[in-house]
Amino acid sequence: MPIGSPPSSVRASALGRIEGREGAPARRAAPRSRRGRASRRPRADRLAPYVLMAPAVLIIAGLRLYPLALGVNFSFTGDGDRNGQAVGLDNYAALFDDPLFRQALQNVGLLVLLLPIAVAIPGLLATFIYLRVPGHRIYRSVYFFPAVLSPVIVGAIFNLLLAYDGTANTVLGLVGLGPVDWLGDPDTAMVTVVGVHVWATFGMALVVFLAGFATLDAALVDAARIDGASLPQVVRHVIVPGLSRTIQFVFVTTMIGLLTSMFGLLYVMTSGGPEGSTYLPEYYIWVQQGQMNRPALASAASTVLFGIMLVVGLLQIAVLRRAGRED
Amino acid sequence: MSRNRIGRWLIAVPMAALALATIYPLVFTANVASKTRHEYVLDRFSVAESPRWENFGAAWSGADMERYFLNSVIAVAGAVALLLLIGSMAGFALSRLRFRGSRALFLGCLAALFIPFQVIMVPLARVMGQIGLMDTYPGLILAYVAQFLPFTVFLMTSYYTGIPAEIIDAARIDGNSVYGVYLRMMLPLGRPALLSVGILNALFCWNDVLIALLMMPSAEHRTLMVGITSLRGQYSDDIPAFAAGVLIAALPILLLYLFFQRQITAGVTAGSTKG
Repeated sequence: MPIGSPPSSVRASALGRIEGREGAPARRAAPRSRRGRASRRPRADRLAPYVLMAPAVLIIAGLRLYPLALGVNFSFTGDGDRNGQAVGLDNYAALFDDPLFRQALQNVGLLVLLLPIAVAIPGLLATFIYLRVPGHRIYRSVYFFPAVLSPVIVGAIFNLLLAYDGTANTVLGLVGLGPVDWLGDPDTAMVTVVGVHVWATFGMALVVFLAGFATLDAALVDAARIDGASLPQVVRHVIVPGLSRTIQFVFVTTMIGLLTSMFGLLYVMTSGGPEGSTYLPEYYIWVQQGQMNRPALASAASTVLFGIMLVVGLLQIAVLRRAGRED
Repeated sequence: MSRNRIGRWLIAVPMAALALATIYPLVFTANVASKTRHEYVLDRFSVAESPRWENFGAAWSGADMERYFLNSVIAVAGAVALLLLIGSMAGFALSRLRFRGSRALFLGCLAALFIPFQVIMVPLARVMGQIGLMDTYPGLILAYVAQFLPFTVFLMTSYYTGIPAEIIDAARIDGNSVYGVYLRMMLPLGRPALLSVGILNALFCWNDVLIALLMMPSAEHRTLMVGITSLRGQYSDDIPAFAAGVLIAALPILLLYLFFQRQITAGVTAGSTKG
């Protein structure tokens, strides 16, 4: 659920006519409004905020926070015969013994390595659009479009394009390169799926970068160019420091996307194969829960995934903070 | 100046190529869907002789897509309506009412935003089973609401924070209760945000496959995206009909995108430049 995971506070002005104060609870407005004539109904008014909050609180607490705690708890109990019994760290031991889960973790490492590329591509494209390359008006709409398509649809279409006699190999054949078994070869399958994911989602990061550019002081860029700065210099000394917040946001959301929204593609394109080479933790969790009927083991994998997400998120924020200070 | 212009065109060419690569997969699929099976086997790249609709009809009624489509519409409509109602109520309270615990509730929402579905899906399935909502529409709708509510609450809270307190004071002096202010002021004033959040949530729910797979195991409850994955096995020797099915599933998204692109990008960039 990548697009559903914006960061801490919400930028109001993006939605239109708003002052853009941060999305924290207001302190000022209410007390004034509660005096006045409304004191006729003080009790109902005092209860009103809680009534308004109740459905959201019930749903978020009951169906998100409680299951998180429950899942961590599950991960220390057994499956099958030992259902419900405390088994200590057995599930975690089984998990790290399982070659499929180890493959999934190795693939997470691959995602981390590919992350800078997945961020740099939309960053560069957004820079060019900002600098008004010919046709810049159209690109934004065109590039963003795949980002709204379901991974299932994207995967189904790319299954056709990446077939052995599909478009990708036909194009390669035109320049004299041999056919590649994109999804059938354990060495290429994971990179291929990640490539499709990047194709489908780079537009998301692109519009985020463009929103960042909109807040950048255009005079700074113009001044640098008039002073004879080259494009790489402008990027290095004006754009990157000016957009540090945006870049940090894109790093975090892109990583979250890579870790938690590839399920649809994996499900449609590879089912984890060939030879388990395209397993990711999220796919492993699904297989253990939905097919192997091992919810406790799946819960242990969930807990590990949550740990990875926390570490990756905090690490990136820390690294980027430091980089931002040096500039 | 002219060197600069040449440089610009040098960048524009790969960008145009990339734009083509972005559109090509859909165009290819549309072309395949317009062919007969025979045409496809002979040459999958040639342009279809004339647009055909048989494949769309075959996929729509022959492969149960009608049913899947309806299931998806029910789930998406139910989830979006609830999300907007519950999210705007909470957003109003968090942004414009002062009460004990509001800070804690806001932080709870924030925490929930960072819990991916994969992390809670096993225990969620058990909770849903215990309250008897497994494999039911209310269950699926509730799972969607739970998934996208934190995001919805956030956007609504920040939007309502921008509405001047004076307007609300005036409405209160006119004798409106808190609920009256919500119904008569916040809902109508919140329309731009509700539209943006509603469309985004509709996209998320429509495109989802994992939550639907988990919550709706039985075949007659498949949503469209789950249906597409089963369609592939069914039509493995009739790719044109399969392509038509894929396009039918993509069509509502395409329409939403054409009409509401601005609202969609506003929603996904929310939160990116501040925080």
